[in-house]
Amino acid sequence: MKTLLINTLLMIAMLTSAPLLAQDGPLRVGMSGQYFPFTFVEQDELKGFDVDVMNAIGEEMGRDIKYETANFSGLFGMLESGRIDTVANQITITEERQKAYIFSEPYVYDGAQVVTKKGNTDVEGVEDLKGKTVAVNLGSNFEALLRELPYADQIEIKTYDSNLERDTALGRVDAFVMDRVSASQIIKEKPLPLELAGPTFSQITNAYPFRDNEAGRAMRDEVNKALAALRDDGTLASISEKWFGTDITQP
Amino acid sequence: MDVLNVEYMLGLVPVLLRYLPLTLQLAGIGMVLALILACLFAVIRVLRIPVLNQLTIVFISFFRGTPLLVQLFLFYYGLPQLVSALTVIDGITATTMGLTMHFSAYMAESIRAAIVGVDRSQTEAALSIGMTNGQMMRRIVLPQATRVALPTLMNYFIDMIKATSLAFTLGVTELMGATQKEASGSFLYFEAFIVAAIMYWIVVELLSKLQNHLEIRLNKAYNR
Repeated sequence: MKTLLINTLLMIAMLTSAPLLAQDGPLRVGMSGQYFPFTFVEQDELKGFDVDVMNAIGEEMGRDIKYETANFSGLFGMLESGRIDTVANQITITEERQKAYIFSEPYVYDGAQVVTKKGNTDVEGVEDLKGKTVAVNLGSNFEALLRELPYADQIEIKTYDSNLERDTALGRVDAFVMDRVSASQIIKEKPLPLELAGPTFSQITNAYPFRDNEAGRAMRDEVNKALAALRDDGTLASISEKWFGTDITQP
Repeated sequence: MDVLNVEYMLGLVPVLLRYLPLTLQLAGIGMVLALILACLFAVIRVLRIPVLNQLTIVFISFFRGTPLLVQLFLFYYGLPQLVSALTVIDGITATTMGLTMHFSAYMAESIRAAIVGVDRSQTEAALSIGMTNGQMMRRIVLPQATRVALPTLMNYFIDMIKATSLAFTLGVTELMGATQKEASGSFLYFEAFIVAAIMYWIVVELLSKLQNHLEIRLNKAYNR
């Protein structure tokens, strides 16, 4: 009897506190912390383009940002279950995702890029992926992009939570597909023997997903307002220049 | 192969050490709760308490029969989908719950085996001098069973410490999560993961030492 009472009280406490948590307080942002140079960790410090942009948005909104890091494949689960408010991990707007979530205005315009081990002359563009093994991040839209190719059934796709760059450099897969700016940055700054193979093959736009409910819509509007302000005063462009040496925030 | 970047490895040690307490907390609390649960289950099974016995059998069967990662996903992502208020279960709680239930299922069986393994003459003697079932369990059977069960229970504890490395999938940055993030920032995977491996190893080594001490103590009565 006593335990029943305690359980009931607990349930009531949970039910009443959950909506409270969702409203005020900091904006809870999920990211993998494993996608250089958008989100990564150095000496325990979370850094990257997505961190800088989100911090600027938080400042503009006058709201704290609370970062939650988890493996990429877990991020949408956290969004779905209401543990985070949005995901800042260079999330691409796709039809599939638009069915489940609402998106902010885009803040990155980019393309999909094939990357191979340095010296690999077999693969010089997306059309050469026929009969090859190609790595993509688990849950990313690059897998979907590959599956849309007319010869998709001849590509063996391997999905990774992280470390696909290393596996490509080791020759375990023939290539990986990622967005162009991240790939260029990895090749430039990190000690891996990789190279871009051919031009980009699909236009991608990144934005912040929110749950499609009242609170989600309110947050999206708030973020959109901040994004517009940051775009106008040149903050977005300067953050992009800092990380990529070019402005990727314009179409 | 590239030369090992020792400087990077040394720099990583203090950073990763910050996340070791959380790893130990997850395993430590998980172990205490799992032990309590496992003892309960074992006693229920040995005494064949009706209804509870059947429920325990199903519980053990499920938690031994499914991967820990699946259970963690069920607790963390699955439950809130059914009851949205269950979002209050954070990553640390979900991990602790998962570790507790998963390992209690295994431990219950090894404790049950240890109890059953206590010689029949011991229980008969206890009952013959008028002890109740409970007294017999507490005073005669469990102390002897503990000695037998200890090595396997330690094994599970060690396994549990390493199983905490799954927690990052639920957004809990423990030792493994911190290492993964550092490694993908530097792309120095070998260096980062070898530092983490050594840390796990040292912890487990210390525990093995503790186990030796405990075993010597528990064996005292048997040394002639």
